[in-house]
Amino acid sequence: MAGILVVGEHLQGEVRDITGEIIGAAVALKDKIGGPLTVLLIGADAPALAEKVNLEGVDEIVTVVTEAAHFDSNLYEEVVCQVGAQKEPRAIFMGHSVNGMAYGAAVAARLGAGFASDVFGVEAEGADIVAIRSGYGAKVQMELVFPEKTVVALTLRGATFEVPEAGGSATIAAVDVDTSGVEAVSTHVEYRDPPPADFDITKAEFILSIGRGIEDPDNVPRFKELAERLGATLGCSRPVADSGWLPKPHQVGQSGKVASNCKLYIALGISGAVQHLFGMKHIETIIAINTDSDAPMYNYATYGATMSLFDFADALEKQFN
Amino acid sequence: METRELFWNVDGAAYSAFYAIGFMAIAIFLYGFARHFIKYARGKKARTPVDVWRGFWRMWVDLFSQRTVRRRDRYAGASHSKIFYGFVILFIGTSIITVDSDITEPLFGTSFWKGTFYLIFSLTLDIGGLGMIIGIALMMWRRASFNLPKLDYVRRYREEEEPRAIARYWQREDWVFMTVLLVIAVTGFLQEGVRLLHEQPAWAAWSPVGWVIWKVLAGLGMSEATAEGIRAVNWWIHGMLALAFIAAIPWNKAKHIIAVMGSLSVRDERPLRRLSRIPEDAEEVGISRVEQFSWKNMLNFDACTKCGKCHDACPARTAGYPLSPRDLILDLRVFNDKAMGRSREGSELIGDIIDKDTLWACYSCGACQEICPVGIEHPAIIIDMRRHLVDQGDMDPLLQATMENIANLGNSFADNPRKRAAWVDALEFPVKDIREEAADNLWFVGDYASFDPRNQKVSQTVARLLKLAKVDYGLLLEGERTAGNDVRRVGEEGLYESLVEHNLEQMGNSKGFQQIITTDPHSYNTIKNEYPDFGDVAPIRHYSAVLAELLQSGALKVVTPLNKRVTLHDPCHLGRLNGNYDEPRAVLEAIGCTIVEMPRNRDNSFCCGAGGGRIWIPDTPGTEKPSENRIHEAAGLGGIDIFVTCCPKDLTMFEDARKTSGHEADFEVADLAELVAEAIDLKNIDLKHVPSLVERITDAASARVADVIVKQIAEKLADQVAEAVAKKLGSGAIALAAAPTAEVAAPATASAAAAEAWGGSPITPAILPGYEIPAKDGPRIMVAVKEVGTLGDEFAFTDDGLDVKEEFFDFILNEWDDTALEAALQTIEKLGSGEVVVVTVGPERAEATLRKVMAKGAHRGVRVWDDSLAGADPVTVARALAGVAKLEEADLILTGAQSADQAQGATGTALARILGIPHTAVVLEMDWDGAGLLKVMRELEGGMGHAFEMAAPAVVAIQTGANEPRYATMRMIKDAKKKPLDVVDGASVLDEGSAYTVRRMYVPEASGRAEMLEGSPDDVAAKIAEIIREKMGG
Repeated sequence: MAGILVVGEHLQGEVRDITGEIIGAAVALKDKIGGPLTVLLIGADAPALAEKVNLEGVDEIVTVVTEAAHFDSNLYEEVVCQVGAQKEPRAIFMGHSVNGMAYGAAVAARLGAGFASDVFGVEAEGADIVAIRSGYGAKVQMELVFPEKTVVALTLRGATFEVPEAGGSATIAAVDVDTSGVEAVSTHVEYRDPPPADFDITKAEFILSIGRGIEDPDNVPRFKELAERLGATLGCSRPVADSGWLPKPHQVGQSGKVASNCKLYIALGISGAVQHLFGMKHIETIIAINTDSDAPMYNYATYGATMSLFDFADALEKQFN
Repeated sequence: METRELFWNVDGAAYSAFYAIGFMAIAIFLYGFARHFIKYARGKKARTPVDVWRGFWRMWVDLFSQRTVRRRDRYAGASHSKIFYGFVILFIGTSIITVDSDITEPLFGTSFWKGTFYLIFSLTLDIGGLGMIIGIALMMWRRASFNLPKLDYVRRYREEEEPRAIARYWQREDWVFMTVLLVIAVTGFLQEGVRLLHEQPAWAAWSPVGWVIWKVLAGLGMSEATAEGIRAVNWWIHGMLALAFIAAIPWNKAKHIIAVMGSLSVRDERPLRRLSRIPEDAEEVGISRVEQFSWKNMLNFDACTKCGKCHDACPARTAGYPLSPRDLILDLRVFNDKAMGRSREGSELIGDIIDKDTLWACYSCGACQEICPVGIEHPAIIIDMRRHLVDQGDMDPLLQATMENIANLGNSFADNPRKRAAWVDALEFPVKDIREEAADNLWFVGDYASFDPRNQKVSQTVARLLKLAKVDYGLLLEGERTAGNDVRRVGEEGLYESLVEHNLEQMGNSKGFQQIITTDPHSYNTIKNEYPDFGDVAPIRHYSAVLAELLQSGALKVVTPLNKRVTLHDPCHLGRLNGNYDEPRAVLEAIGCTIVEMPRNRDNSFCCGAGGGRIWIPDTPGTEKPSENRIHEAAGLGGIDIFVTCCPKDLTMFEDARKTSGHEADFEVADLAELVAEAIDLKNIDLKHVPSLVERITDAASARVADVIVKQIAEKLADQVAEAVAKKLGSGAIALAAAPTAEVAAPATASAAAAEAWGGSPITPAILPGYEIPAKDGPRIMVAVKEVGTLGDEFAFTDDGLDVKEEFFDFILNEWDDTALEAALQTIEKLGSGEVVVVTVGPERAEATLRKVMAKGAHRGVRVWDDSLAGADPVTVARALAGVAKLEEADLILTGAQSADQAQGATGTALARILGIPHTAVVLEMDWDGAGLLKVMRELEGGMGHAFEMAAPAVVAIQTGANEPRYATMRMIKDAKKKPLDVVDGASVLDEGSAYTVRRMYVPEASGRAEMLEGSPDDVAAKIAEIIREKMGG
């Protein structure tokens, strides 16, 4: 009863970034609670993807071929539990992603396991696992322990852990899992691409991003103009896109886009929800303007100022006249 | 004997015919009159009390002084007075003749219409008739050549360029009305002229107009015989026109002659100042159908003369919004005249007849009713229709969000209620908490003066002035909530009532005060005029009156008279609605300012655009803000130093408008109190003599701050101690757990104990005690909802260090659950049958949220609780929910994708597993056939959608953005109290253990804190521009 089982995530033939990241978290923990570190890939194209998760520190890669080409939460849950029963890991790591949210807690409930979600820090004290997550709108953090649990299932936050180097020396084995008793939950219909846009947040080098602090959809054009004047791409936070103030392609964050090529990010009236930080906190230079002097965004920003973002926008516009 | 023959040359059949026609005309008139009367009788009871006798006397004064017509338009006033008096004289004259010839003569055989009386009579009627002709001619001239846009009835504010069909009709009606009246008068004089020419009596000069006509006609060579011929024919023309006019009165513009007497008599003494209450037992809220109007509303519609004074005065119309108070009333009149006070199929009052945008355009400034010459109360009518819209949840999203914020937080700034009194911290002296200590005055601060940074400075200045003048006052501090004046004018009556109840309760529980003071005219208005309808409340004064008195009594001494040219903006709620025009002016004069009045001042003050809840509704792009219009007006005065406000909202609106309208360099915008402070040289007065820093922190606040500080110090110390110990021991083994916050929960044996089988037993649904569940009537959707706590800047941990103290939270419905509920309600509405059951795991406190959810349309509520469930993990919560789902035999279960506080994103998934049913999460689109087929689309990272089908029963976790959750009015929330809410004992839920244990909670270290840039926006922008250029090479 040792080791860690990591469940990999992939979409349309690509391994998703979060897989490498949670492998990174598992590698760090393995040093403390012991191995082996097993990565599980599930799906029709699992064997083809195996080599991509062969990162440094991975001991074993298990592939389970299922008929369904697409993610199905019931199948994932079944396979993870069956492979778990074979490997008897101390911890199961899953991504805190849209997929992970759809089956992670189910695995925990089925196994009566210890469970925590959106975990961004994992420690070990002897054989005991300590998970760190935040609460109350990221105003506090907490340490969670799992007394009397033989297995701990965690979903881990993305864009948080370091991805290990490629070129590991894991064994790769296909495992047969009898999923005949499990009906797939879903009948796949289609993937729908996000609405097209003539810009790409993921490629933008300079982003001016607006949040709920702009107060009113009528203020959007004003910031659009400012972005144009600065030569920046206009980004936004989830509430702005959810309210329909800006189309979805502008959204930076977990359910939006990750600003992967951005060098300079100006966040206006964005408090800094985890969801948004996911898409931008890695950026080299971040400037945060907010009326709330306690906005979590300042903890990630390079420069900050507390003032009305309208006054600031007016002043900045003057600078580029 | 001086008189004239009434029926000269009219006898026999002609005489009878004339009387027959006369009676017919009167019958038609009475029929028309009765129709209107029947219509009014169908109207509902007037919503505010009507003092008919008082109003009746005032009406006569209004009529005979013509003061309401004369106001702000002397030309029209003079013209109308002539017509009015002419008409009255002719009407009385005709009545006298009728009495003489049809009553006294036939009954008593005597006639008084002769001799001297006749001569004076004839002279008077000549003067009256001449006046009427001049009046009509002036009015015709005005219409023909003044080019008054308001009189062509083209709705330019709707970008219409041509008059509508009805407007063309009105144009014709106006001209026909004037022309007929003119012709009646002219033919009357012609009749007099030809009669005099024909009879040539000695006393002809007593009919001066007729005499002139006689002489002119004679001069033109008219013979007596011709005159006689004309006399015979013209008598009939004049008579028939006059009778036709009488018959037509109820059907045209002339009806105002009668309706206005009613309308002016039933005028509300305090229109708009005090709105009507909605009766507890009212089945419907507001007005959405024509039969819901009161008889008084209908009388108002009929009294309108289309004069357009309200149209000119309305700030919404001026700013280009689709509201003209006159056109609103006329549209209602036309509709009501067709409907005759009863509902008709086919046309919706709101939507087809009156646009919703029209209703939302109103600023509730009262300019329309103020100037209306016939006493129409437009704003109350608009607000009654808004009440209906609010009741339907039909309002601007931003307005809806504001209403929700006010309901949750008690303020419109979406700010933590504890911040309400934060502005007090900057004062050099303590301020009384009236809940702890009695004072002469309660200062009711209001939202803008409490939360808006610019206005906080004014509040601080006022506090210092009062301190200096030794005025004894206290605050309710965070016990205060927004007074609700504008909430009521939005139409959210239930929320208003709850605000009033709260504030009255706070005042009632305070240590006592004799008087209330405020800087906010909106709070002033509602506390003064409306709160008394709900309970006892002390008299209230506006700070302008208080300052005027303090300056007069010498309690505040002017050191340096300002010698500034200033203009004053009268706040609508202070001036027009409550008549306080002189107090702020007295203050300005006392401090040595020269007041230059804007053209629109006092009762004609032009609204800043913040009233009626419009400050919470986005402006339509392309409209000129009323505040900008006003600033242009002030700039037009030339040489003004300061634009003075005495209302917090005004200060905000005009500060902005000065910048956006290009008058930044022309003058300053300042609050009255700031000028007083300057004049008395406040900044050089030491107010510090009393207090120490500690004193000005109230006990409660200090305890809280101390809590936080102690905790932080303890943590800091613990870290340092741990570090030091670790260094001494030369090992890093002692780690985080040394913090004083926690008993380390996990016993070392935990992992050893786990030596049995891998994994544990599957979690099963909690076995909950049963409760009464109705038989299924269609599909049953269960929605799991959670009340989430949000934290402000300041909070402290519980004594065990494992959670945040409850008092620091504001509790609201989780946004994701709100979306899930909306999805459930829409689904049931679409299916046409079934019910939505909402379930929460939470303490009694959470019932407020549950009621709100039920108010939105959920049919029943279930609350599971046991104190052991505080801070429960998502799997445990899911176990409790599963227990309820089992009992309810739910056909579909919806949850939010995550909660705003803990963001676990796990409950739905765990719930589905525990129940053994399919599940999916982060769903943006859902379509359920009510049986087995569910079509969903979940949202993947990066905005991609994944569409698939699954089988119900299932658990679906909904993502925000899937829909726009509806609004629950406070009234609906109250009504939801009647819906069943079962409370279930959750003591057994933790039987299978919890999925995690919190062993420590702490404030994250602010690692990598940003370098904070200080200075003005310009300084910061300059620095950031430099960074941008450096980084981007621009």
